[in-house]
Amino acid sequence: MRKQLGFYIDANRCIGCFTCAMACKNQYHQDIGVIWRQVYDLKTEIYPHRERAFYSLACNHCENPTCSNVCPVKAYYKRETDGVVVHEQEKCIGCGNCIRSCPYGAPRHNPVLRKAEKCSFCWERIDSGLEPACILSCPVDALQLIDLATFEEPNAVQYPPGFPKFTSLNPSVRFRVAQSPTVIRRKRL
Amino acid sequence: MTGNNLEQIKKNLGCSMSRRKFLGCMAAMGVLASIPGSLLRPMDGQAGNGFEQGLEIFRNACPRNCYDTCSIKTFVKDGVIKYIEGAPESTFTDGGLCVKGYAYTRRPYSPDRIKYPMIQDQRGSGNWRRISWDQAMEIIAKKLIEINEKDGSMLGLALAKYSGNFGITNYAVEGMMTSLGYTTRLIGTPCWPAGIDAQNYDLGDMWCNDPEDMANARYLILWGANPAWNSVHSMKYIYAAQERGAKVVCIDPVLTQTAVKADVYWEVETSMDGALALGMARHILDQGLYDRDWVRNNSIGFDEFADYLRNEITVDWAAQKSGIPAEQIKNVAEEFATAKPASIWIGYGLQRHVNGGATVRSVDALVAMTGNVGKSGGGARYGHLRTWGFNYHALLQPRPEGSVGFLGADGPLGDFDFSGDKVDEYSDRPLNMNKTAEEILTTDEPPVRVLWVSCKNPLSQDFDRNKMVEAFKKPELIVSVEQFFTETVELSDIVLPVTTLFEEWTVNASYWHYWLSINEQAIKPMYETKSNTEIAAALSRKMNELKPGSCTYPTEIDPREWMIKEFNQGIYDLFGIDSWQDLKNGPAKAKMHPASWHDLKFGTPSGKYEFKSELCAEHGHQALPKFKEGRKPYDKLRLLTPHTKFGIHSQFVNLDWMEEYNPKPFCYLNPIAAESRGIKDGDQVKVFNKIGEVQLEVKLTDIVPPDVVMMYTAWFRNNPYNCQNLVDDTSSDMGAYKTGAPGVAIHGQFADVVKV
Amino acid sequence: MNSMELPLVIFTVLSQAAIGLVIISSIRQFAAEGPAGNVRGEWLAALVLLLVGLTASLFHLGHPLGAVNAVKHLSNAWLSREAVGVSLFLALVIVGFFSIKDRLSPGLAALTAIIGLVALFFTAMTYAPPGYPAINNALPLVFFLLTAAVVGASVSSFFTSQEKIPLLRLILGGSLAISLVVYLTVPFVWLSGGTVMHQTGIEYLTSPLYWSRIIIGLALPLAGIWMSRSIPAWIPALVIIGEFMGRIAFFSLTLHASSNIGGL
Repeated sequence: MRKQLGFYIDANRCIGCFTCAMACKNQYHQDIGVIWRQVYDLKTEIYPHRERAFYSLACNHCENPTCSNVCPVKAYYKRETDGVVVHEQEKCIGCGNCIRSCPYGAPRHNPVLRKAEKCSFCWERIDSGLEPACILSCPVDALQLIDLATFEEPNAVQYPPGFPKFTSLNPSVRFRVAQSPTVIRRKRL
Repeated sequence: MTGNNLEQIKKNLGCSMSRRKFLGCMAAMGVLASIPGSLLRPMDGQAGNGFEQGLEIFRNACPRNCYDTCSIKTFVKDGVIKYIEGAPESTFTDGGLCVKGYAYTRRPYSPDRIKYPMIQDQRGSGNWRRISWDQAMEIIAKKLIEINEKDGSMLGLALAKYSGNFGITNYAVEGMMTSLGYTTRLIGTPCWPAGIDAQNYDLGDMWCNDPEDMANARYLILWGANPAWNSVHSMKYIYAAQERGAKVVCIDPVLTQTAVKADVYWEVETSMDGALALGMARHILDQGLYDRDWVRNNSIGFDEFADYLRNEITVDWAAQKSGIPAEQIKNVAEEFATAKPASIWIGYGLQRHVNGGATVRSVDALVAMTGNVGKSGGGARYGHLRTWGFNYHALLQPRPEGSVGFLGADGPLGDFDFSGDKVDEYSDRPLNMNKTAEEILTTDEPPVRVLWVSCKNPLSQDFDRNKMVEAFKKPELIVSVEQFFTETVELSDIVLPVTTLFEEWTVNASYWHYWLSINEQAIKPMYETKSNTEIAAALSRKMNELKPGSCTYPTEIDPREWMIKEFNQGIYDLFGIDSWQDLKNGPAKAKMHPASWHDLKFGTPSGKYEFKSELCAEHGHQALPKFKEGRKPYDKLRLLTPHTKFGIHSQFVNLDWMEEYNPKPFCYLNPIAAESRGIKDGDQVKVFNKIGEVQLEVKLTDIVPPDVVMMYTAWFRNNPYNCQNLVDDTSSDMGAYKTGAPGVAIHGQFADVVKV
Repeated sequence: MNSMELPLVIFTVLSQAAIGLVIISSIRQFAAEGPAGNVRGEWLAALVLLLVGLTASLFHLGHPLGAVNAVKHLSNAWLSREAVGVSLFLALVIVGFFSIKDRLSPGLAALTAIIGLVALFFTAMTYAPPGYPAINNALPLVFFLLTAAVVGASVSSFFTSQEKIPLLRLILGGSLAISLVVYLTVPFVWLSGGTVMHQTGIEYLTSPLYWSRIIIGLALPLAGIWMSRSIPAWIPALVIIGEFMGRIAFFSLTLHASSNIGGL
């Protein structure tokens, strides 16, 4: 398989601290209302305790990116070298088609520029030999950079509960699901 | 693993791709070669980082009241902060910050920032006018001269300062007060005083193992601590311990984010932690699992403690008090006693009670009796100030000649009081910080005529807000030194704009980990902001202009020089550095043994661990770590007001970047409690008790027990929510010994909820 | 619905109206005995509707001046194909309009109608993205065809000869009846789908907009046709209002897949 960078989201380590999300803002200063990386909490039907398990998601840099497929002006391209999906904002005419199309909500509308934008996987940082800002920031290594061509983690899953399953896109993310502790409740008197 | 990945990226991309790699790699080698010669100047970031060209790198440190005190690398281009990172040199920070830290990039540039001195025509009116620094200082100085003439002393000037900025040079605020004469100080700490006293009685000081050493624990109890929110960088050591086979037990009234990462979570009855610890101790005693050699050689009073346990404590009693089943108590007690080493992290939550100090002493006893004190991977971890041996140059100013002050008991001026022994005839007048409102309202001869607020937001953070609003009507002049229009600024007369960490020179140590960081001025102060060292100099200039000799503080200072003046050989030796300038290369770690009390020479009067502390008895408490009851409920639900992950006290939540992820406050209620009140998820509710009320949206969840309502401390810029409407100023049992005033029973509070 | 979507409402309804009008015009011209009616006026109407719609569509772009670039990605992007399809259709309508004497050449009429259908198909594909599971299927095609049919037939009534009213009534009545069935059925079908589809169904069924659209745009016109022997002028008016309401519902009530991240 050709090199394909992706995110490994270890929900069992993740503490939902939003550090990755803010590290992204710190790096790119997105306009207010434009969020590249969001930390989604799992509903109680998936994890029994509210707001205690999370998926940190940005662009999944899909093998078959719908954003790129639907873009009428070819503002997207997928890098041959590592599979990163890049949005060239200067080409964007702000038609919103990618925003409507991506089921993961990765491209966002920038009301100031009137264009779309999304997680770049920090490709400029990668090209400089640096880790993406979100991955570098994670205090518990719950967000990791992987190459799917060589990634071997038997317990990893691509579509855990709570992550929309769109096999035709083949998102470049893998997950470890969150475990629950043994919970000893107080005896209610 | 990320390290490996980085290597992999570098190998596969960084040096095989065309773009900037060649120049980048070459420049990186160049910079490595030139490091020794470039220490005095900020390094050029272009080399290590081809990502953006022409970046200058500065060293900063987060000065907030937080375990992690992160070392920051600041990347500046054309005088503007582009982004920041965690310093990779610190193994604790490990290249990352937290959600609050990364929001810093926005802070100096926030559109809400206070840009220049302003005066409010009528306190609370919102009619603010811009004035010059000179005008502001003239108003303040004239008032200070006036009250000094009226009262014959400066005791009418009171300082309200705490932990808003722990950068060492910020002690210039206290120094400025001293340089004016004997003043009134609101002393103590709302944070952790009961536990400090408890550890001082037991061990002779508060001194925790290196948090990085938690990875060596074979058994770890996280007791009333929530590092997943409040010390994110500590979590990796907890995970490391788990990965090495350690069992992690989390004891907390709330199913916290930390609790779900533990192996076992105990939903303890709030404030009954002491009973639980004593029940475990009794079982360990019965099973003969305590460390006989350790207690014989290194402690006093163990036999009396054992007698107390045998006579007055049973596991069943502990189970009844704490709500944790007896079998569980026995199992965990046995596991804890037999795993070597085993450690307990004592959070600050469990001592915020009327029995908080007694509770911490019981937990200490559990660690000591199992021989886990003084061992790597062990320890009763609470905090430490062992790396804070600075000169406190900014703090230690002389009084003006002929100053008259307060005749009364001498005591410490707080947990971070480093002013040393006083030999003066007079002292400053101490008031209890934890009863700020009450003290301002009742203090007389002279009353608090001028209140100077710095590094603090009393209206958001101090207790009984309604009373505080009344108290803030009393002083004749209130001056706030701030960055934002907080609730405290709203009730002030003059606001002075203060620098952010990026705009000032200082140095920062942690009360948790062992690292030391320098804080360089990375950008020029924005607008008309000044650092606390410069504000003091500006005031001194005006005071001496109007009345020569009325203030001893230097009138011209170089903030960088003042940072340098904080260092001494002791600091250099402790951190293994030759000069403060070494810290420009990154933070340094104290050359200390990872285990506190590793030499088993304790700081107590006996020099041993004191299960029985006569000093404690002298101070009006029990000599033994005996059980003490919690505060009696006065309303239907217990009210818990812990910290949010999106802020520290009243800071950060107001930033627009933070609002993206945390736009408004919520309260948390168990569905059982909600059902009987006809409350549904998402309803607007009123939380109320005898002193006040708040209205906000409710989230129903099993993370809180059915007899608890929880909400977080925070200041939202566009929301009147304030949990201090509901928290009264009832004192905790301990704290007066080491911090000058007892703490506050922050979690010994009660309230009820109705749908609105 | 955000401000970017109102232009899409206008564009899709009006372009489909134009396509419907051209198709109905062609059918009416050749499929029944009698005078053709005001074909020239009808094509002019189609042209005006299309131009207004296309103008509106520019306002949905953050950068309308870049619209010409929208044809760059014919290999993959349905939106590029849509742009070409609609442009081609526009060209044929213009040619058609100027070539009309009394009637239109059957070849050109058929070609225009077919290209119109193709453009409509492209549009339908554009609005069936993975991001909206409820409509990531053939439903947009069905919806858009029905819009073309009901609006086309309604507007066509202004231009038809009296002899062909029964034919139009048949087409309009039939397509209104089908629409009614489709729009009443679809939300219930969604209820049995995945979470986002289910929630979309709930959104529709609890929305006054949806029910108003059913009554105003479908039920009342259908009843009107049933009662009356002709197509009174209020019927096209109601149909058009109904289609706009329906299209606003389509854009504002359909839930995006990302709204359920973290849920089952």
